[in-house]
Amino acid sequence: MTAPAAPCLEARDLVVRFGARAVLDGIDLGVRAGEVAVIDGPSGGGKSTLLRALAMLQALARGELSLDGAPAASTTPSAYRVHVGYVPQAPIMFAGTVADNVRAGPRLRGIELTDERVAELLSRVAMAPPDAQRNAPDLSGGEKQRVALARALANEPRVILLDEPTSALDPDSASDILDRIRRCADDGCAVVVVTHLREHADALGGTRYTCEGGRLHRRAET
Amino acid sequence: MSYLDIAPWRLLIVLGLLLVSALFVSRRAKLGLAKDLIVGAVRAALQLLAVGYFLLVLFQHQRAEWVFLVLTVMLAVAAWTSARRVDSGPATKVLVSRSLLAIAAGSALALVPVFAFVVAPTPWFDARYLIPISGMIVANAMNVVAQVNERIFASAKNDRAEIEQWLALGATAKQALGRQARGALRAALIPTINGLLTVGLVSLPGMMTGQIVSGVAPEHAIRYQIVIMYQLVIVAAVSGGTAAYLARRMLFTAREQLREL
Repeated sequence: MTAPAAPCLEARDLVVRFGARAVLDGIDLGVRAGEVAVIDGPSGGGKSTLLRALAMLQALARGELSLDGAPAASTTPSAYRVHVGYVPQAPIMFAGTVADNVRAGPRLRGIELTDERVAELLSRVAMAPPDAQRNAPDLSGGEKQRVALARALANEPRVILLDEPTSALDPDSASDILDRIRRCADDGCAVVVVTHLREHADALGGTRYTCEGGRLHRRAET
Repeated sequence: MSYLDIAPWRLLIVLGLLLVSALFVSRRAKLGLAKDLIVGAVRAALQLLAVGYFLLVLFQHQRAEWVFLVLTVMLAVAAWTSARRVDSGPATKVLVSRSLLAIAAGSALALVPVFAFVVAPTPWFDARYLIPISGMIVANAMNVVAQVNERIFASAKNDRAEIEQWLALGATAKQALGRQARGALRAALIPTINGLLTVGLVSLPGMMTGQIVSGVAPEHAIRYQIVIMYQLVIVAAVSGGTAAYLARRMLFTAREQLREL
C-alpha cells in the first residue's frame, strides 16, 4: 500500500477579515494533483473569498499557502499565480481577439503560443478554431467563461480554481464543461470548483466541502 | 529697457470688463458661477498684489535662506493642492507626501542643472530668476501629478476586475496596471506636449510676452522661452512618472494584491 500523495495546493489556517468581520475563519484545505475539490455553501459563506485567497489575490490576516510543499511566500506572487490558475464567476475579456486572450498569460513571460496551440486550448473548452479571431469582449457570458478557462489553461497550471464555472451556461453546455473540467483533473491538475448547484457538484464528483460562516467542512462521502 | 506702466486705477477697467462680460454669460446661461467669478477676480488681484510686494522686498534683500523658504512653501502648497484634487484614491493626508516627492523629484531635475549651467545667475540664489522660473516648473509638476493620480486611482477602481485577471494570469503589479498607468501618464503629458507643438503658432507664452513687453529683444526672450518649454517637459515626464510609480506602490500590497482604496 502506498501513502496518499502530498497535496499539490495546501492552505493552512486561512483567515481573511473585512473590517472586524472574519470572512474566512481558519480554513485548512489540501488538494492533490488529479483531485477535484468541490465547494458549495450559502451565499456570503466565504466560497468566492476562499478561491481568491487560494489564488493569492486576497490579503490574508493569517495563514499560509503552499504549492507542492513549498511555502508560497518563498516564491514571487506572479510565479505562484502562473501555477495556480483562477477563473472568476464573471470573467473580463481583455481587448482584442479570443486568440489574444488565450495568449495573454504566456505573453507576459515573453512566450508566444502558436496558432495550433491556441486551437488546441480552445478545443479543450469546446470552442472551434474560427472562434479564435472573434472579438473577445463581444462574446456571450458562457463563451467568456470558456475562453477564460482556456486562458487560464494556457499557463499550464498545476492547480485550477473555478468560481461558478457553469453560471452562464445552459444545462447541456454546463454538463459538457463539467466533463471537460473533470478531464483537467484526469490530466493531473488539482482542481477546486465553487458551485451552488448540487447537481453540478454531483456531476463533478471528487471531494465535497461546504463553506459556511467562513469555515470549511468536509462532507461525508455520499 | 522701457515699458508702459499700468496705473493701478486702470486695472479697474479690466476688472469691470471681466465682471460685466463673465456675469452676463453666467446669468444668461444659468451657470451659477457669479459668486465664484467675483471672488476669483478679487482674490487673484489681492494674491498678486501681495506677491508683488513680497517679491519687491525679497529682491531688495537677496538672502539664500529667504529664497529657499519661498521655494519650500511653493513645493508644500503645490503638493497639498495636487493631493487635494484627487477624488478617488487615498486620503489627502496620505497622498500629500507622495505628491511632494513626485513634484520635488521632477522640479529638482528640471531646475538644478539649468540654474547651474544654463541660466547661471549671480549670486546663484538670485530670487529674480529662481522664484519665477521655479514657480512655472513647480506649477506644471503640480498639475501633472494631480492628473496622474486622479486618473490612475480612478481607473484602478473602475478596472479592478481586469487588473485582478491579469494578476491571476501571472502578471506582476507593474504589468497588471500597465494599461491604466500608461493612460494616466499619457493624458497628463498631452497638454505639455501640445504646448511644445503649438508654441509661437497659437500664442506667445507668458514669460516671453512679459519679457518682450518689458523691452527685452525677442531673440533673447525666445532663448529663455525655449529653456522653459524644455523644463516643462522634463518636469512633466519625471514628476508624472514618479507619481505613477508611487501610485502603484500604494495600490498593491507586498504580495501584489490590489488594495481597496
